[in-house]
Amino acid sequence: MFETLFIGLSLTSVLLLIALGLSITYGAMGVINMAHGELVMIGAYTAVLSGIYLGFNIFAAIPLAFLTAALLGLLIERVVIRRLYGRIIDTLLATWGVAIILQQLIRLEFGMTFFGIRIQGLGPGLQQMRVPSYMMQPYEFAGIMIQPYRTFIIVVTILLTVLTWFLMYRTSIGVQIRAIMRNPQMAAACGIDVRRVSAMTFAYGSGLAGIAGVLLAGFRTVMPEMGANVVVDGFLVVVVGGVGSLLGTVLSAGLLGQINGIVSVVYNDIIARAVVFAVVIGIILWRPNGLFSFKSR
Amino acid sequence: MSNKAFLLGDRAVYIAFIVIVLGLPLLIDDVFWLNRVARYLVFGMLGIAMALSWGYAGILNLGQGLFFGVGAYMVAMSLKLQSWTSMQQGSDTPVPDFMLWNAQPGAPTDLCCIVPGSWLWIPFQAQWFGISMAVALPVVLALIIGATIFRLRVSGVYVAIITLALVLLTRLIFIDAQPITNGFNGLTDLGWLTVGGIEFDPLMVETYYIVAVSVCIVLLLTRWLVSTRAGLILQSTRDDANRARYLGYDVASYQIFFFTVSAAIAGFAGLLFVIVSEFATPTYFDIAFSISMVVWAAVGGRSSLIGAAIGAILINTIEATVSESEMFQQAWRLIIGVLFVLIVLYMPRGLAGLARDLLARLVALGRGKEADSAKASRNPAE
Repeated sequence: MFETLFIGLSLTSVLLLIALGLSITYGAMGVINMAHGELVMIGAYTAVLSGIYLGFNIFAAIPLAFLTAALLGLLIERVVIRRLYGRIIDTLLATWGVAIILQQLIRLEFGMTFFGIRIQGLGPGLQQMRVPSYMMQPYEFAGIMIQPYRTFIIVVTILLTVLTWFLMYRTSIGVQIRAIMRNPQMAAACGIDVRRVSAMTFAYGSGLAGIAGVLLAGFRTVMPEMGANVVVDGFLVVVVGGVGSLLGTVLSAGLLGQINGIVSVVYNDIIARAVVFAVVIGIILWRPNGLFSFKSR
Repeated sequence: MSNKAFLLGDRAVYIAFIVIVLGLPLLIDDVFWLNRVARYLVFGMLGIAMALSWGYAGILNLGQGLFFGVGAYMVAMSLKLQSWTSMQQGSDTPVPDFMLWNAQPGAPTDLCCIVPGSWLWIPFQAQWFGISMAVALPVVLALIIGATIFRLRVSGVYVAIITLALVLLTRLIFIDAQPITNGFNGLTDLGWLTVGGIEFDPLMVETYYIVAVSVCIVLLLTRWLVSTRAGLILQSTRDDANRARYLGYDVASYQIFFFTVSAAIAGFAGLLFVIVSEFATPTYFDIAFSISMVVWAAVGGRSSLIGAAIGAILINTIEATVSESEMFQQAWRLIIGVLFVLIVLYMPRGLAGLARDLLARLVALGRGKEADSAKASRNPAE
């Protein structure tokens, strides 16, 4: 029973990590960023590459991945998304194109493949990130087996969620972001630099995706198409939780993660995912604005 | 005045398209290539379905692969039962080979009960059943989905997310029902379509013509459909659903109708695709495939039926010609990504929009200096 809940909890934390960044970008800026999964992938590759060339372990890789993904996010915002604010469907399509570009850049080793140069850690194949062995050794706690790595993921997720909450609700930039969420024109009229704040918000959300990538790399194989699978899950969490609601995102990640965990123990993984999709469709039909959303716009 | 030119240009493109599609076997001798082109024509049909739902109805359906895949599986089940492998399983009635691999020891080799759920296959022994289900089932599904979504007034992004989740759900169901769908591997080793004693080998010119004529008919039918009163009302619901409601139109009915038509075309495309490609796999339900359809329509021009069809055919043909080496295939995908971003940013109307702009420029040139001077004399007044 507890082990099932624990599995559900670790699934929840991974979902939440991915959804956290999306929730901010989607909620604050109305951008459906299909390349979010690719930013997760970039984070995972940052961990792999820094492990190979710089000898970084997972702890050092996390801030590096945050920076890499955040800078990349800033670039994407500047080049593509900036031109598309207010055209939500178009952001979905354009970022899908960005996602393909990022995937192909990794597959083609940034174009080096054409010159016959191979870079270890890139290319179309599978990569593995090394996790310290003491994190993989399960230990017994209060009668249940607990894997340290899963605990680590849960702890990091909690820390990041608290940090995000702090940023959003206890700092002046958070007030500005929330003002933009409610009404961008009014926020601009009050003297908030909407463009600058939006760009920073997007970079922060992208950075969170990068960290999610490092943590994912610990228990999944790293490959160019790994991001495509997680972005949809992230979106479902955000939509179910309600756009722009941090609490909603946390709770809906919990709900979907636990449903996934419990059903996959009772039946199997495939049925579990199918049930999650069915629940999500039901919730969107029932409450299109999500479970926890404020009335605005 | 210029409307006339557009109408003429539009008509010319349609006629040229139909002539080229139907005349292609005279130019291409290689049946292998003809078969490939037939596949791309099927994708062109998917482009038409996408332009209808996205461009004309404003419904971004990211789960179009659902209807395509269901259509494909329906006809593939019938053709599977017709293949020689199904006849050789030691039973009087055909039984798909993979069911035997999954069967419990001692299970009777018959469709009724060889694996749980295999009775679903029984009616598919009749080929006409599979073929009619290939369109009927997508229609029924689209009616149910459309009625639920549009009666509840779900719109915009949420439609996209629901359809996306639905196609993924369907994919999982098809993979999980491994005993009767062969899971990840899908249905392969299919028989040939047989009509009136003629077997349609995919590598035959006649099979190409089945596809080519179907595409042309679908193209002309949808073109007629969007020009009807219902089509015009549909476009008004796309531009402003609330205003259409105030004017007394039942917006949901129009949306459901065109959503269903689009699904029927996708299902029909699935049917044709199985006939020319001889397999059906769960990859049809992948998100990437469904979004590819959006890419094709966007490149060709989302608000032009023939533009979307040409976009689909063009992209796939280029992809086939550059995919000789693995590396160029990957590079091509990169180019598609860049192209797609550029089109969304700078050319939302796609190739069709480009063609229209060029035509407008030509018309302006043809009118000569008279129009220019007229414009010049009007400008100072403003």
